[in-house]
Amino acid sequence: MIGLKGTLNCIDNSGALLVECVNVLKNKVNNGWGSVGDEIVVVVQKARPVSAAAQASVNAVKVRRGDVRRAVIVRTRKPVRRPDGSYIRFDDNAAVLLNNKKEMLGTRIGGMVSADLRLKGWGKIVSLAPRVV
Amino acid sequence: MRIEKCYFCSTNVYPGHGSAFVRNDAKVFRFCTSKCHKNFKMKRNPRKVRWTKAFRKAAGKEMTIDSTIEFEKRRNVPVRYDRDLIQTTVKAMKRVGEIRARRERAFFKHRMAAAREKQKAHRKRALDGAKLDVKLHLPTSAESSQTKTKILVPVKANSALIQGDGHSMGMETD
Repeated sequence: MIGLKGTLNCIDNSGALLVECVNVLKNKVNNGWGSVGDEIVVVVQKARPVSAAAQASVNAVKVRRGDVRRAVIVRTRKPVRRPDGSYIRFDDNAAVLLNNKKEMLGTRIGGMVSADLRLKGWGKIVSLAPRVV
Repeated sequence: MRIEKCYFCSTNVYPGHGSAFVRNDAKVFRFCTSKCHKNFKMKRNPRKVRWTKAFRKAAGKEMTIDSTIEFEKRRNVPVRYDRDLIQTTVKAMKRVGEIRARRERAFFKHRMAAAREKQKAHRKRALDGAKLDVKLHLPTSAESSQTKTKILVPVKANSALIQGDGHSMGMETD
């Protein structure tokens, strides 16, 4: 249940740690809340500090505080209904940052993601995640 | 598809039923009903809540050490389908269930027998204690019963709750 001003943990290695939702990219006729697998627009509120040495390397931190980016929700506190009828909820809200082509900004994911992502067409994120629940 | 166990009450959770909570360390807690989920959210310990399987097992109210319980296990390696194997398994399941039911009945009988002994002893002790009390208090109670007289309390006739005399709660008619 992610909406305007909702904060999420960023679990990839793009450099962002905490992001705030500013828009949910879907038709908000019936249900305007973002859930697992929905794309959102976020502002980076907290990012990993950038050192000069790290900037030169390949794994440079790609985002800074205040950046506006696209992201996809990977875990929600709100229970999500599975196709078999059971419900699943997580401990926190989490997202992964995307570029304009809907590809991941980072190269790694540092936490489990919901298995519902695969159904919504985010197979790449699911394959990168260390645990899929 | 697999039949999971409820984290709180240990009943079976069939596919499509119940809900799951995933902690940040990826441990999955499955619940059969919202009742179990709510109890978990209240941070209750299933071993301390009397209606759960965990409590009953911990308190010695159910059979825990038995070879028939060993049959039910999580098997993470899928078994290739084999008609004969399935047939024998189904047969074995029924047989194991029978044996288990019989053993459980025996366990229950044994447990109840022990409980009955305990209760008998307790009642006897209580009765002995009561007898002792009667002996101690008998002289004093006999004296007081002689001096006791019935005190008659006059009943108020003009109460609002009793009908008649124009003071009743009924309608006044002139």
